[in-house]
Amino acid sequence: MWKFRKLISALMVAVIVLSLAACGGSKSGAGDDKSQFVTVTFVALGDKPKNGQFEKVMEKVNTIMKQKINAEVKWKWVEWADWQTKYNLLLASGEPVDLITIGTDWLDTWSNAQRGAFMPLDDLLPKYAPVTWKSIPAEDWNQSKYNGKIVLIPENDYTQWINHGFFYRGDWAKQAGITEPIKDWDTIGKYLQWIKDNKPGVIPWDAQSSTSTFGGWVQSHTPYLELPMSTGYLPVFNTKSYDDRYTVVSPIFEDTFLNFATTMKEWADKGYWREDVLNNKNDTRVALQAGQTGMDQHHTQTFSGLRVQMDKKQPGSELQMFPFSRQSGNLLEMPITHGGVSIGAHSKNPERALMAYDLIRNDKEIYQLINYGMEGVQYDIKDGKRVLPANYNETNDAFYSDFWAGRMDEHEIPSDTTWDKIDTLYSEYDKIKKPYPYGQFVFDKTAVESELTAISQVTAEMGPAITYGKAGDPAQAVQDFRDKLKVAGYDKVMAELQRQLDAYKAQQESAGTK
Amino acid sequence: MDINSKMDLIGSTPPRPARIRQDKSEIIVRWAGYIFISLFAISCLLPFLLILGTSFTSESAVKQHGFNIWPHEFSTFAYQIVFENPKLIIGSYLVTMGITVVGTIVGLFIVAMTGYALQRPDFSYRNRISFFIYFTTLFSGGLVPFYLLITQYLELKDNYLAVLLPGLLTPFLIIMMKSFVRSIPHAITESAKIDGAGDFTIFLRLILPMSTPALATIGLFIALGYWNEWYHAMLFLSPDMDYRPLQLFLYNVVTSADFIRNSAASSNVAMSDVPLETMKMATAVVATGPVILFYPFVQRYFIKGITVGAVKG
Repeated sequence: MWKFRKLISALMVAVIVLSLAACGGSKSGAGDDKSQFVTVTFVALGDKPKNGQFEKVMEKVNTIMKQKINAEVKWKWVEWADWQTKYNLLLASGEPVDLITIGTDWLDTWSNAQRGAFMPLDDLLPKYAPVTWKSIPAEDWNQSKYNGKIVLIPENDYTQWINHGFFYRGDWAKQAGITEPIKDWDTIGKYLQWIKDNKPGVIPWDAQSSTSTFGGWVQSHTPYLELPMSTGYLPVFNTKSYDDRYTVVSPIFEDTFLNFATTMKEWADKGYWREDVLNNKNDTRVALQAGQTGMDQHHTQTFSGLRVQMDKKQPGSELQMFPFSRQSGNLLEMPITHGGVSIGAHSKNPERALMAYDLIRNDKEIYQLINYGMEGVQYDIKDGKRVLPANYNETNDAFYSDFWAGRMDEHEIPSDTTWDKIDTLYSEYDKIKKPYPYGQFVFDKTAVESELTAISQVTAEMGPAITYGKAGDPAQAVQDFRDKLKVAGYDKVMAELQRQLDAYKAQQESAGTK
Repeated sequence: MDINSKMDLIGSTPPRPARIRQDKSEIIVRWAGYIFISLFAISCLLPFLLILGTSFTSESAVKQHGFNIWPHEFSTFAYQIVFENPKLIIGSYLVTMGITVVGTIVGLFIVAMTGYALQRPDFSYRNRISFFIYFTTLFSGGLVPFYLLITQYLELKDNYLAVLLPGLLTPFLIIMMKSFVRSIPHAITESAKIDGAGDFTIFLRLILPMSTPALATIGLFIALGYWNEWYHAMLFLSPDMDYRPLQLFLYNVVTSADFIRNSAASSNVAMSDVPLETMKMATAVVATGPVILFYPFVQRYFIKGITVGAVKG
């Protein structure tokens, strides 16, 4: 027995000694001494390109990098297969990571910051990334702080709109007597009715029940804001308005939801979509391009590419977008921290990493190499736009770098696959947009995990039938839906959400006065 | 005793008895049995045929008519995408086969040794060590410590060993082996000892040949485990490696297709060009095909080991 104990304790000691030895490995970085050549890694999300073009482009980039800062950048890919696990493990493992793509709304950035995964940048930025430091205004830096320290560089100068709306055909709308751009859901109904009456064989809106339009309806009919938390198929909780942005409300328990259910029941009864819409697997976008349906629903970025494709496939169709914000003027900007970059807490060369980033973000030549590839291979310039070269072959020449960590509008070259009048929508948005107020809000689900799951089950189970008018009498369906939400724990989640928003409000207001 | 001559008897069937006239009821029962078993076998086959059929159907036909055993519109487009880069898929096949073969041989040997040692009545620490092994089935350090162990302490990132090592010893299989070997009388070990055999000789020449059914079962488990292994590969083998195990490769083909479909950035790829549903089926066919060949190969070992008569009672 004692022999056995001795053996075990000897083993224990050995393990402890070994682990201490392993932790004792000293870190030696090159500091800001540029005489030593270093490799800076950049963690990107995506599958590693396999056709060799990426390496060719990086060779060009690194030639310039070596000249300017005596360093090279190397991409480290986190593949789409189970990327969330791998991304978080990479940060948790303490592996030395230099530059890493972040996103507060999809990459757990604040939780990782809480675990100390990122290096504070306040002292390093002005010295090693001066151009970036100057180009980002103070209020945007405030959005990038955790516990008062800057932990990320936001992608704040890049326009991308992912606000949703309906896409409809301008030519058919004209024939239906709709001469103005559509501004409300009633006119959308009128447009669908015209297709129903005049285009035999065309399904006015060949919708799929997997997405709900209730969020869009709320945006169009109320000043309510969407929160960065999910209740599954359709949003149950919103906040009251931009000015009253810390007060939780639920449109489900107001007439908003009943009106929605009633209107959708009308649309269903009039045959604006398939009878078997709940089982429809037909791809709406493909049907639209084939001229088999007159409407589709997605966000502005999708629209900008789809418009160009539609001009080719259905010439003269003049595809238009009715953004849900148009009816009410209720529109939030994208969070500027949706994209960005951080430096890993264990980076050996944070100084050189920042220098490299400063170049990628602000040096036009490097920026365009990294974002578009090589001129003459991946793109040609024609009338100021990027076009595919004549001998371009998708398999051999395709290039992407998934650099979503600091793109800048000023260095972008528009592509001919993007609608050239997309600016008309952008300027409409610019007139009404409000800054995103929930960039630093993270809803902590631990206290209401099971209620939230139950609520998501209710929305998944009854949401599609109500959204597409297949749930019988709307008033009754809405009542059932509300009852089930109550049973699932709606009140508890509401109270918890309000509690956390109050705390967030206090935090935001104290930060504002500092 | 000569084991080899005994082994020759295995697999040869006893001589057939002369035909006995059967009465009607027996024939009916027998045929009912045949029909029932045939139907059961067909119902097991159906999902496979459905997968096979769907993988050869065009995506649009699947969208319109659902899954079918007989393709509505024959198309090999899904396979074309999976095999877009034949060098890669052949490489992945070779990696998986290599890991499976090496892992199964080594793993089986270690599991068998452990199982045998743990049931020897004259091994004094057997219960304590069994408990240690059993304990790991209930408690584990969790993902992050495991990840740190493999990447920081063993430094096995981007090394095939990171996939090979964790699968070598499975507590469940050790317990299985242990309880099987227990059915071999200890007297055999003792009598061999008297004849002057060492422990290793006993294990190799007596215990292993008598455990073929257990070895076949456990070997199959290990082999399937390695064949289907993708999680460790996903964690520890980065895209910087040229060839990675087959399941991970196929999984990546499907997820990247999924991503292309869902991303607005892919404006130069039309959504309908990605045959997602049929591709899932094609990858399933590519991944399971060779496994089906495992079974007939090991089936002949699923016979009760001959322990009866080895010891004079």
